[in-house]
Amino acid sequence: MEFDFKHLGFTLLGLLIVLNWGLLMSALMQKIGARVARRIGIRLYQPWIDLIKNYAIRSQISHGIMFYLGPVFRFSGGVGIFLFMPLIVGSVMWSNYSFQGDLVLIMYFQFFGMLGMALGAGESGHPNSAIGISRGLAQFTAIEAPLTLAIISLAIQYNTLSIVDIVEAQQGGIQNWSAWTNPFATIAGMLAALGSMGHSPFNLVKAPNEIPIGPPTEYHGTFLGVLRTNAAILHVMEAALFMNLFFGGANNWFEFILKTFLIYFWSVFVGVVFPRFRIEQSVAWFFKIPLIAGVVAIILFM
Amino acid sequence: MVSPYFLLGIGLGLAFLLGLLGQKARKSSSILILVALFSFVGISFSWLWQFLQENASVTQFFSAGFKPPFSIALQVGLHEAVLTSMINVMGLFSFVSLWRNMKDGNEKLGPILLILFMGLNMLVLTRDIFNVFVFLEITAIALGGLILFDEKKHARSAGFKYLIASALISTIYLLGAVLIYFSNGSLYLDDVMALNNMSPMAIVAVFLLILSLVLELKPFPANGWALDVYQGANPAIGAIVSAAIGSTMLFLLYKLMGMAAFMQEFLIAVGLISFIASNLLALVQKNANRLLGYSSIGQIGLIISIIGLKDILGDQFLFVAFMILITHFLAKAGLFWLSAMLKSDELKAWSVFRKKSVLLVLFGIFIFALIGFPPFPSFYGKWTLIINLAETHNYYLIAAILIGSFLEAIYLFRWLGYAIKVDFTEYDEVKINWEKLIPVLTFGALLLASGLYMAHLMPGIEDITLWPLLFILAIYLLDFLPAYIKNTISIAALAYFSFIILPPYYEKDLLRFIFLGIFAIGGILTLIAGYAYKGKRRGFYPVALLMYAGLIVLIQAETTLSFFFGWEIMTAGSYFLIIRGKRSMEHGLSYMLFSIGGAYAILAGLGLTFAQTHNIDILSLASVTVHAKLIFLLLAVGFLTKTAALGLHIWLPGAHAEAESDVSPMVSAILLKAGVFGLFILMIAMGKNPEVASIAYILGWVGALTALVGNLAAAFQEDAKRLLAYSSIAQLGYILFALAMMSHLGWMTAMVYSLNHFMYKAILFLTIGAVVLRVGTHSMYKMGGLIQRMPLAFIAVLVGIIALSGVPPLSGFAGKWFFYNAVLEKGWYFQGAIVFFSGIVAFLYLFKLIYSVFLGQLKDNLRQVKDISIWFAIPIYVLILGIMFFSAKPEWVLQPLSDMLTQWYPNTSLSFDGLYINSNFGYWSGTGVMITIMIMFIVLLLWLWILSRKVVKVKQFNIVYSAEAPQRPETTHVSYNIFAGYYKALGWIVAPKISELWNKISDFVVSVAHFGRMIYTGNGQTYLVHILAFIVVTFLWFLN
Amino acid sequence: MLLSIENIALASGILLILIGLLGALTNKNIIRMIVAFSIFDTGVNILIVTFGYMPGRTAPIIDGAKVTAQNIAQVAIDPVPQALVLTAIVIGFGVTALMLVFALKMHEKRKSLDINDYTDLKW
Repeated sequence: MEFDFKHLGFTLLGLLIVLNWGLLMSALMQKIGARVARRIGIRLYQPWIDLIKNYAIRSQISHGIMFYLGPVFRFSGGVGIFLFMPLIVGSVMWSNYSFQGDLVLIMYFQFFGMLGMALGAGESGHPNSAIGISRGLAQFTAIEAPLTLAIISLAIQYNTLSIVDIVEAQQGGIQNWSAWTNPFATIAGMLAALGSMGHSPFNLVKAPNEIPIGPPTEYHGTFLGVLRTNAAILHVMEAALFMNLFFGGANNWFEFILKTFLIYFWSVFVGVVFPRFRIEQSVAWFFKIPLIAGVVAIILFM
Repeated sequence: MVSPYFLLGIGLGLAFLLGLLGQKARKSSSILILVALFSFVGISFSWLWQFLQENASVTQFFSAGFKPPFSIALQVGLHEAVLTSMINVMGLFSFVSLWRNMKDGNEKLGPILLILFMGLNMLVLTRDIFNVFVFLEITAIALGGLILFDEKKHARSAGFKYLIASALISTIYLLGAVLIYFSNGSLYLDDVMALNNMSPMAIVAVFLLILSLVLELKPFPANGWALDVYQGANPAIGAIVSAAIGSTMLFLLYKLMGMAAFMQEFLIAVGLISFIASNLLALVQKNANRLLGYSSIGQIGLIISIIGLKDILGDQFLFVAFMILITHFLAKAGLFWLSAMLKSDELKAWSVFRKKSVLLVLFGIFIFALIGFPPFPSFYGKWTLIINLAETHNYYLIAAILIGSFLEAIYLFRWLGYAIKVDFTEYDEVKINWEKLIPVLTFGALLLASGLYMAHLMPGIEDITLWPLLFILAIYLLDFLPAYIKNTISIAALAYFSFIILPPYYEKDLLRFIFLGIFAIGGILTLIAGYAYKGKRRGFYPVALLMYAGLIVLIQAETTLSFFFGWEIMTAGSYFLIIRGKRSMEHGLSYMLFSIGGAYAILAGLGLTFAQTHNIDILSLASVTVHAKLIFLLLAVGFLTKTAALGLHIWLPGAHAEAESDVSPMVSAILLKAGVFGLFILMIAMGKNPEVASIAYILGWVGALTALVGNLAAAFQEDAKRLLAYSSIAQLGYILFALAMMSHLGWMTAMVYSLNHFMYKAILFLTIGAVVLRVGTHSMYKMGGLIQRMPLAFIAVLVGIIALSGVPPLSGFAGKWFFYNAVLEKGWYFQGAIVFFSGIVAFLYLFKLIYSVFLGQLKDNLRQVKDISIWFAIPIYVLILGIMFFSAKPEWVLQPLSDMLTQWYPNTSLSFDGLYINSNFGYWSGTGVMITIMIMFIVLLLWLWILSRKVVKVKQFNIVYSAEAPQRPETTHVSYNIFAGYYKALGWIVAPKISELWNKISDFVVSVAHFGRMIYTGNGQTYLVHILAFIVVTFLWFLN
Repeated sequence: MLLSIENIALASGILLILIGLLGALTNKNIIRMIVAFSIFDTGVNILIVTFGYMPGRTAPIIDGAKVTAQNIAQVAIDPVPQALVLTAIVIGFGVTALMLVFALKMHEKRKSLDINDYTDLKW
């Protein structure tokens, strides 16, 4: 495809929408969490204030070049997934740069940010960074096992690895969604989603209470701003991935916002109910029901 | 033609004359004896000349001018000429090797030696059955005499046991000879052989004759006396017993077997039992000379069975028998002579040869020759033997021979490993006298020369494959030069050689072009790293080049023989490379054993192939129809030992991890591709054969599980190089899995992985190796924070791990993308899921690698460490450029690859559309993704940079740490057992069950050997009982 | 005829062989073993001579009267077995002598003639 300023403009606009929606959504989720715990919670515009504050902080420290690059990697990871993800069904302009690669690209590009961040945090020399990252990676491998099975199952079902095609195939009503046509893959996928969203019970990675959390403590100011920006985008895009895979994608921005909210809410909902797992428990957990669901999903479509 | 009676005349005449002379004259007798032995050599060489150059015909000489049976006939033919030449050369050199013993007061040895070799000559020449008895006894008495004058502690008791055993055996021969006479009225061998129907008495007579000759050849278990002689006597005498007497007896047996066709099966059985049993019992032997004895008995057993196989082998018989005999003859004599230089009998004492590297090289040559490595004659002998046995459907014999050879390899290579690695300071220094050195040198040179000459003669081996070997010999002779000169020469040679042979392959055969490219370019790049080493680096260049020569031969091979030739050369070279590591003795051994086991599986597979195709063209594999499953399974197992598939992988981690810094990439990034190439060849053949799909299916599972276990195990390593080694196992598992899919996409995946693995594993191993050279430890938790000291190394590892992990935009992603498509197309979902899962597990160890080494806390002792050597950095960054190129323009590489693979899989869903690659399932634009990510990354970097221009760099311990600043990097650097939780959850998958299994198997074999050798009680009477029991059992067998 | 000269010779030959073997296997004393081997050799030699014996024939000496160059093959016995035995005896003598020297030398060093004392080399 030729380079096209209009397309780029739409993509940047989409990024802006997603960023703001992501910030709002995180505020909403915190609010919900607070209300469940019978607190009042934050104001809904708090994330914007935090962001501005972080970007405005003047004093910053760095532990070295990789420390500096870590947030850039992380941010690139989030933005990259956004770029390679189609947002709205049937719209060329809102499908971003997804023509450059398929589901496999997104699957593996997730690691770009994770790896860079891990290295950046690693350079801080903080022991808790290393502990957190090692747990995060360990848990992530476990999450990927059912998710991979679910994706294989979908790829067999739709005979494609293109997200655009998978979404297209689900159009025409709720009965065509993968959630309906391929329930086991959806179960595996949505259980894996719990892990990848990083809420309780799978939030040992950046457990806020027991240990002074590694990366967010060392990264502050602009770095934290970048990380928060990324987190907002990434959360929406992760939800968007599951939306595209299992819930028929979005035909317009309203549907996009509703569905990503609900999908993200799913992890928050579980999170406020269940206590945190230890790392070996969470790893083992993904190899039980989620894995079995994934296996069944494949067997059904073999 | 010179009459053979001159031998008799000279021998007896001089011996008697010396007896008559006075004490003083005897002192100077040595010269006379030397002249006599020279005249023996001259006579037999003149015969050889006449037969080889003048096509003389077989001639019989009769005593006293009568014809048999009234006279004794001596026959001189080509066979006799060859055998007497061997024996007389041996006689001459035995005399040389015993020179000092004679000078030191034992001048009587000279005449005895002369008589002994005269007797051996006569045994070869005579056609009279009774005459054989006479000379048997003469040689026995002469040998007894030699042992009698031996000063070694237990020589005499051994000699006595030998005498009583040989007295019994020769009496049996005598009975046989007499019975022959009574049944035929003639003792003339040709008369007996001319008989059509043998009377029962004649049959019994022949039985006794052959039986006694077999007993002379020390069959298991009636051979305790011989073992004691080998152990007790001077090794120079052992050399005579093993090489000269053994060869003579074998020839005698061959000669007399002309009248005993009914005993062929007996010979096969006895020979093979001896071969296997003595090699088995030798496993637990610690005395060098006794070990050589076991080995001799084994080799002679093998040749006995070959004599029994005469009819089966047909016109190949002489070739096979001679190749194995000449190897045994030269190598065993050489080994015994080497042993004679040492004071201690211990195996480990051979490590002192390291001080005189030429002796170590000779030792290596002899060992490799005995095991049947190319280019030595036994290689061709074994090859031809196996091929012919397969052709005649004697599969059990193949199995027996290969098992025996394998057992032999175990102890011989363990021994070689001792010599190369064990600390030699506690052993007496070896004092080398010219008379000890000359025989060994000559025999080693003869062995090499005969091997190269045979390779030249052998159909199926191209002459071009020999040039590298000669070059390697030359490089060895230049070993005294400093390393950088040899390095330059080696690089130049490799570059020149690849410049000549590589380009034509681009048009002719892209697959070979790619693999050859990996070997050649990888070879040059890894050799560049060698400039970082100071000093002479003795022995490195010959063996490194040997490996590369083998790899190149392997690729060039157009026949199965030259393929196997290259395979073995490569194995030999890589063995020496691996064992160079500081703690690599056992790893070298286990590498070698797995390699040899694999090579034998390949040999058996190729043999079975030849049996039905009658063709050694490498393409003939594809036309296999009978036993296809067995053949392909054997070949697959062979190649999988090299690629370290699960179950056959236990040698790899140690071998790769303990190797030197620039050797690890050689054996990992480059050498493993030899196995991949083998698998390609195999799979190409299998692709044409639908009935072996089940094997591909199994291989697919093996590959998937290898990937899983390899990656998981890598995540739990603390040793950086071990981590990379396990990673290699897993990567090769991917490749195996991809190949086993037997589809266009699958093979694309395999090719992409092979190329990528070559590049990133070379980068990683080179970098980590270079870091290890600087920091002096493999343990990652002892490093940390090195990014500050070694930015070059950090960038290299960063690129390496991004490429390995498959994260876009680097080239590793190409492999992942093809993998998904191939798996979906093939329908191997579960195996595929395991592979994908293990791909993600890879992140664990990749993070651990880069974090523990380069990030975290810098240790105090490493604060002054320098960045990696520039000589490592050059190849590393060249490879990084390669990865970048492949990542930016993947289609430039992928499209030709895809076109190439269509010759095997014409139907493919893969299509190339400009920058886009499309399959049935998905699409991907490497270039597009690369550009998108680069722009995005730069924009975001600028975003951060603009917003945070006032960043202050803080010191090491300036972190939020429980309200205090930590002071000790050791306690702050979290690295050791970093994935403990993960291990708790999934560690059971990598429990070392497979190593345990192999250990149990080897323990069992060792305990069998321990138990088995108890039959040799050391008591002469027990040995007599063994002999009698042997006679009775064989007799009962024949009654049936 | 049971007690014919051949049968007696045959029986004694076999008997001597067996005695010799038994002696060599049961006697621990090296000298006794050597003696046993001599007996064994003798038995073998007797056996050979017995095989070569042809009843009613005369010595193979052409004396012009009873044995002539023409009828030698019919009246005289075959001289070869005797010749062989003669050779065997000579060789046996050599072997026995060598064995005795060995026994002497072994005794010199260790002051023992018990074969069980010479089992240092084993396994």
